[in-house]
Amino acid sequence: MSQVALITGGANGIGRAVAHRMAAGGMCVVIADFDGAAAESVKSEIAESGGKAEALSVDVTRANEIKALVTDVGKRYGQIDVLANIAGGSFYTKRIEEFTWAEWKEVIDVNLKGTFLMCREVAPIMQRQKRGRILNTASNYGLTGAALRTPYAAAKAGIIAFSKSLAQELAPYGILVNIVAPGPTDTPRVMGKESPEARRQRWSNIPLGRTGRPEDIAEAFYFLTTPESAWITGQTFHVNGGLVTP
Amino acid sequence: MRLQGKVAVVTGGAQGIGRAIALGLGREGAKVVVADLQADKAKSVVDELTNLGSESLPVEVDVASESSVKNLAQETLGRFGHVDILVNDAGVYPAALVVDMKEAEWDRTINVNLGGNFLCSRAFVPSLRAQKSGRIISIASGIAHYGAKEGAHYAASKAAIIGFVKSLARELGPDGITANAICPGIANTALPRGHRTEEELMHRLRSNPLGHVLEPEDFVGTILFLASDAASYITGQAINVNCGSYMI
Repeated sequence: MSQVALITGGANGIGRAVAHRMAAGGMCVVIADFDGAAAESVKSEIAESGGKAEALSVDVTRANEIKALVTDVGKRYGQIDVLANIAGGSFYTKRIEEFTWAEWKEVIDVNLKGTFLMCREVAPIMQRQKRGRILNTASNYGLTGAALRTPYAAAKAGIIAFSKSLAQELAPYGILVNIVAPGPTDTPRVMGKESPEARRQRWSNIPLGRTGRPEDIAEAFYFLTTPESAWITGQTFHVNGGLVTP
Repeated sequence: MRLQGKVAVVTGGAQGIGRAIALGLGREGAKVVVADLQADKAKSVVDELTNLGSESLPVEVDVASESSVKNLAQETLGRFGHVDILVNDAGVYPAALVVDMKEAEWDRTINVNLGGNFLCSRAFVPSLRAQKSGRIISIASGIAHYGAKEGAHYAASKAAIIGFVKSLARELGPDGITANAICPGIANTALPRGHRTEEELMHRLRSNPLGHVLEPEDFVGTILFLASDAASYITGQAINVNCGSYMI
């Protein structure tokens, strides 16, 4: 039986690349995304390239939806080997005094609370298996902060500390929890917001001379599911071309 | 075989983590230069590599000696023509409290552990730059972050390696070369044996969240990942492989 990987935010950008990488690595991929139609199309892409995938629709801020989703996946597959929490985003760029309470909560909830809720539902399944890999997505902004993205930076920093705590809780069960922190990455969502030239200018300080590709980030996610990373837990992998070197 | 045809140099490759790395690189298809002060042990690792089908070369080197490192580069480039991967692992750990520490002990620890990183990186960077690609991977230590009683010089040298590697990453990035460090947790090698009883050591080795005793082979996967194309966008990082002993 191949491993089962549950990936939130797997329909676009980094999540989509991670879904492809896990499928290429022989895993059965469950793509859970707010955009169910986009998740379906990633499922089709994977199927066309000979991989196994399923698409589901979920709002990661809703505890009842997550409970239903994880229970269903757990029952049907009988196992969840990998959980990759990739659903998230910064959504707004604005000064602190312009953020409404609702906007603040939206950013915190999708990024941080969604990660918590998913982990809370999947952890018992992994505890019974006595194995599992949980991968949460942070950002270099979780360390450096980011003007005009206060809730996003806070949520990402929160994900790092949350993940380390969870790593300590789950280590006795042989479950590893790690964090991938992408730097600026060429996803459709961010590419649509500025010209390629403006983007190159803005990130000309990246030592490796380019912004990240979703595939670059996906490789780090994949590595953290393999036996080669069996003794790494509670750690943050910064994949950013050398932009931030904490 | 992720490293077919690549040329790798592993300093400190004759024993412990360095030996495991040399063998791991060989298994992935790399040609390996086993560079070590202990020439006999380096030769026996080369014999093991030969049995794996890896073309390899033992070179006796003192990484704290400019002329010796120059010779290492000449022998390597003379034999293989270029280098793709440099693993800086050579290191020493003479235990001593700061108040008792001899200046010579301090100098040797800093010169071998940190100076060796500088001299070896400097020696191979021109070859890496010429081909616009390459990997420098330095073995730091969890002690860089944590400190160690009777190991102030070692901790200083390992923390300095991380600062060095981050700077190297910024200097070499434009040429497509990555530089990273790994920070192994305490492992079952000769290195931590100098100042502990066997019982103390085994207890210490098991005292981590995963309850696993780290062996030299346990670090190889991360090195192979960093050496492979999969990690081409990771640079300037210090990756902790420590069973969750600490999380930073």
